[in-house]
Amino acid sequence: MVNPKTNDTEDVKNAFIKELKLAKRSEDLNELRIRYLGRKGIVTQMLKSLGTLPPEDRPAMGKAINDLKSTIEDMLKRRMEELALLEEREQERKDAIDVTQPPKGRPWGGFHPVVEVMHELMDIFVGLGFSVALGPEVEDDFHNFEALNIPPHHPARDMQDTFYLQGNELLLRTHTSPVQVRSMLKYGAPLRIVCPGKVYRRDSDPTHSPMFHQLEGLLIDEDVSISDLKGCMVHFIDKVFGRPLKSRFRASYFPFTEPSLEMDVECIACSGKDPACRICKGTGWLEICGMGMVHPKVLRAGGIDPEVYNGFAWGLGIDRVAMLKYSLSDLRILFFGDIAFLAGGVN
Amino acid sequence: MLVSWNWLTELVDLQINVNDFAEKLTMAGAEVENLSYTAQKLDGIIIAKVLEMAPHRERKNLQVVTLVWGDERAICVTGAQNVKEGDIVPYAPPGATIADGSVLGIEEFDGVKSFGMMLSADEIGLPLLSQEEGILILPQDAPLGGDAASWLGIKDVVLDVSVTPNRGDLLSMVGMAREAHALFTGSRLKELNFSSTTELSDWPVSFEGVTLEDSGCPLYCLGFAEELEIAPSPIKCRVRLALCGVRPISNVVDVTNYVMLLLGQPLHAFDLDKLPAPEITVRSSRNGEKIATLDGREHILSSDDLLITSGGLPIGLAGVMGGANSEIDENTRRILIESAHFLPARISTTARRLGINSEAAYRYARGVDKAKAPLALSCALDLMKKWKCGKVYTSVIREGDAAPVEKFVPLTAKKLKTYTGAGDLSEASSILIPLGFEVKSCSEEKAIYKVPGYRMDVEIEEDLIEEVARIKGYDELAARLPGRIHDSATIGLESRTERKIRETLMARGYIEILNYSFISPKFIADLSIPASDSRANPFALANPLSMDQSLLRTFLLPGMVNVICDNLRKGWRFPVRIFEIGNIFLREGANLIEEKHIAGAIFLGKDDRSPYGDAVRDDFFTMKGDILALADAFRLKFDVLPGSEPFGHAGQTADVISDGRKIGFMAKIKPSIERRLELPASLYVFEVTFEPFLMAKPPRFGEVHRFPSVYRDISLIVPEDVTVKEIGELIGDLSSDLVTSIRLFDIYKGKNIPEGHRSLSFTLEYRHPDKTLSDEEVDELHTRLRAQIESRGLKLR
Repeated sequence: MVNPKTNDTEDVKNAFIKELKLAKRSEDLNELRIRYLGRKGIVTQMLKSLGTLPPEDRPAMGKAINDLKSTIEDMLKRRMEELALLEEREQERKDAIDVTQPPKGRPWGGFHPVVEVMHELMDIFVGLGFSVALGPEVEDDFHNFEALNIPPHHPARDMQDTFYLQGNELLLRTHTSPVQVRSMLKYGAPLRIVCPGKVYRRDSDPTHSPMFHQLEGLLIDEDVSISDLKGCMVHFIDKVFGRPLKSRFRASYFPFTEPSLEMDVECIACSGKDPACRICKGTGWLEICGMGMVHPKVLRAGGIDPEVYNGFAWGLGIDRVAMLKYSLSDLRILFFGDIAFLAGGVN
Repeated sequence: MLVSWNWLTELVDLQINVNDFAEKLTMAGAEVENLSYTAQKLDGIIIAKVLEMAPHRERKNLQVVTLVWGDERAICVTGAQNVKEGDIVPYAPPGATIADGSVLGIEEFDGVKSFGMMLSADEIGLPLLSQEEGILILPQDAPLGGDAASWLGIKDVVLDVSVTPNRGDLLSMVGMAREAHALFTGSRLKELNFSSTTELSDWPVSFEGVTLEDSGCPLYCLGFAEELEIAPSPIKCRVRLALCGVRPISNVVDVTNYVMLLLGQPLHAFDLDKLPAPEITVRSSRNGEKIATLDGREHILSSDDLLITSGGLPIGLAGVMGGANSEIDENTRRILIESAHFLPARISTTARRLGINSEAAYRYARGVDKAKAPLALSCALDLMKKWKCGKVYTSVIREGDAAPVEKFVPLTAKKLKTYTGAGDLSEASSILIPLGFEVKSCSEEKAIYKVPGYRMDVEIEEDLIEEVARIKGYDELAARLPGRIHDSATIGLESRTERKIRETLMARGYIEILNYSFISPKFIADLSIPASDSRANPFALANPLSMDQSLLRTFLLPGMVNVICDNLRKGWRFPVRIFEIGNIFLREGANLIEEKHIAGAIFLGKDDRSPYGDAVRDDFFTMKGDILALADAFRLKFDVLPGSEPFGHAGQTADVISDGRKIGFMAKIKPSIERRLELPASLYVFEVTFEPFLMAKPPRFGEVHRFPSVYRDISLIVPEDVTVKEIGELIGDLSSDLVTSIRLFDIYKGKNIPEGHRSLSFTLEYRHPDKTLSDEEVDELHTRLRAQIESRGLKLR
């Protein structure tokens, strides 16, 4: 039993501080707490023995012991926090990893440039009020040729060497234009559609693939002007390449449009400044899209009265746009499924 | 079509340079693909005469030539065999530059100095010009000492013009000149005049005439010449032909080609003495009839080909190519020159079917003006006279109807304004007249134009609008966005669905692939598809580019597998996932079914090493997770049940089921096929139809749970052939309604589990919608469930 004298509290405090310094783990601190502040702890005993003191000494001694108690509590708490911090630090040091290790799980896959551009184009034209219409890749002569004002033996059939199916009258569509006809017959006028999809021509070299992609557009309304057509095309070019590009419109020929035009766009690689440019072959221009005002015969084949309505249509090579947008040089590689090439597009 | 700038500017005076012309011609619809400057480097080439020739003393194959022009002389050494004394030749003295840019000097050949050299057609820059090996021999009237290049007119610019199929009229120099005239206000067209012909028969032969038996030939004109001397045509004509890409042959043949280039009307010359009979009949061929054409090929004809015959035998494939039996040769003395009109469709059908791309067929297929036939014949006869080919008769035979077809097309100011923004008809006339149109009538609202015969493409008002717009230039027109939206636009269900599928798969690590829609028969064989399977019975292309691309794909899998194999060949070695969305083509009876599919493949990699080991390796179940995630994205419920595919591992193949219907498969590729394809690691594949994804259900959210769940586990020991699905469903059937989820968390085989069995452990979630369940309540429910499971004869663990 400690004598409850004033200097006793100092002794107890000094003894506690000495012991606290030796405590290295939280368990040590708990043990200290019990020994000093527990039910049978030193400080508790001192408080209990207050009653044995003369009444006049009790207030001062009582205050001294209570001060000692709160000092010990404070010091224990501080020490506890310090130790927790140290322990956490130690734990973290042990658990440290090399965050530059490769990730677990699967990386993001990869998009095909043509499909990506196709969806981008759809969005641009939906923004201009064109809805997406789709059609079959295997077509008949009527939808692919006849209804588009390309009768049999027409020299324009030479422009599109066609794949035919064995044993029937079917063919692989040579352009997305048959969807025009199908949509006119289905929806009538007025009409604003774009038709993306695969098309096939019997041709294979670095700039021609037997299968490629087009995005056909068709607008039928009253009093449509060539200016409307130009407006849509200029808008689309600016959006798809992300900056205004110079363009020019040349007269051309397609059996299903009259007048017919071809749009060239300033070379995105050299802007017409490099006479040795591989992309534009030094011309400064890139052929982008054939187009024109829908031929009255085509409107009639689509069940639309050319006396009331007119309109325009275009056929855009999606692969070509993808090649330009992603600086690709060989069209055919797009369909070889080269993993390193396609995965490379992610970076 | 190759256009000589020198020739063109003889026919129309243009006060512009060739580049400006090419630019404008291109913008107006005839694209100039290339400008080639011929013989541009040629410099200092002199016309000289061979005075004498002596053999070289040391070298047998060389000759020493003395050349003379005016007072000057020069000595040079040649190896050419075709030169003789008196010949006029192009001579390049030291310091002169030949076509390839080399500058000549003095060279010594075993003691004899050669000062420059005489030139061949190649060295002068026009290889087509020479009909024989060696030095280019010039005519005797060539001016000695003159500049060879300018006298020959070979310094030229040749425009390679791509003429669209509707503009047959541009396949001639006069057509090009007219187009140029219309494009450049102030230019003047040169008028061409030809001698008139008569139809009096004064030919000194017993020719019985021409019979037209087929409507494919409405007009047939014949001219006649005799006492011919077949020789080279005048050098300047040869230069011109060569510049335009036509090889000179002989005076008579060159006349026909020259006229065709000038006027666009194909001509043909027959050796009269080779004709089987003194008459010509134009008729359709008989099925199986044969003809040998000038190019040395023999063709078997069908009944719709148009033939020129004599005495019943074919002597020419009308409008396409002459027959070898009546060909002009060096002994030809008497000829008939044909200038005829044939219907475009007939010629194009024949030329296309037989694969003959002659200049004549090319022009006829695009339409030649009927009025050209008699005109071209006059022109040819004139030229033959001028070139002194022989005795040329001005009387001709003309069989058929020469009357031109008159066409009138209206143009309204209203429509012109709608299309082009300006409706000025007098301006329209000022554009159309130089193109050859005639104004029949004109008011402020409407004009009627007579279409020139050579413009077979102009039939309707829109055609006239195009003429006006293209000559003015489309760049003049303002661009504006079309107004008047009638409805909101949509990407549509199909494209939206496709987009979500591809984005889901890409996010799950799949790389998007586009394969050709055609496949090789080998692919189907490689995957062991039996003949009874509809996938082994594809539609074939009638005209494939190659055997490898001869069939329409019946499923996407072959393409997926091929991509993996191809990449392995190229050295790819790591795990990879790929997918494709595309159409397949199935045979259903006689019909073709076109269907969109989605396919994917996971290749485990020849090198699958990873710092994380097995934890990150794909397998059947990671792929199953992808397919079910795809279903979840559309709130669809797919089942994956044991199934079989010819290419699938018998123990690792499943049917993918939606709405009780098989929509596809997922499988590990069969070991024997892996070996066949030399796959160094496992390949997992799936393919499902697209159509179920269009049935996506709208999302529906339940109530928020207000009371906590309580969980209890249960483990069963079951035979290995009992599926997790079966046990899960059994637990579901037997358990209380308060069980809201059943989740498998462990599968165990081995110690304490009998052979042929496995232990399946599930955790069950109990939840009451209206109150908190007590442990006691749950224990009671769970105990009852255990008892019921045991009563079914299943062993609990």
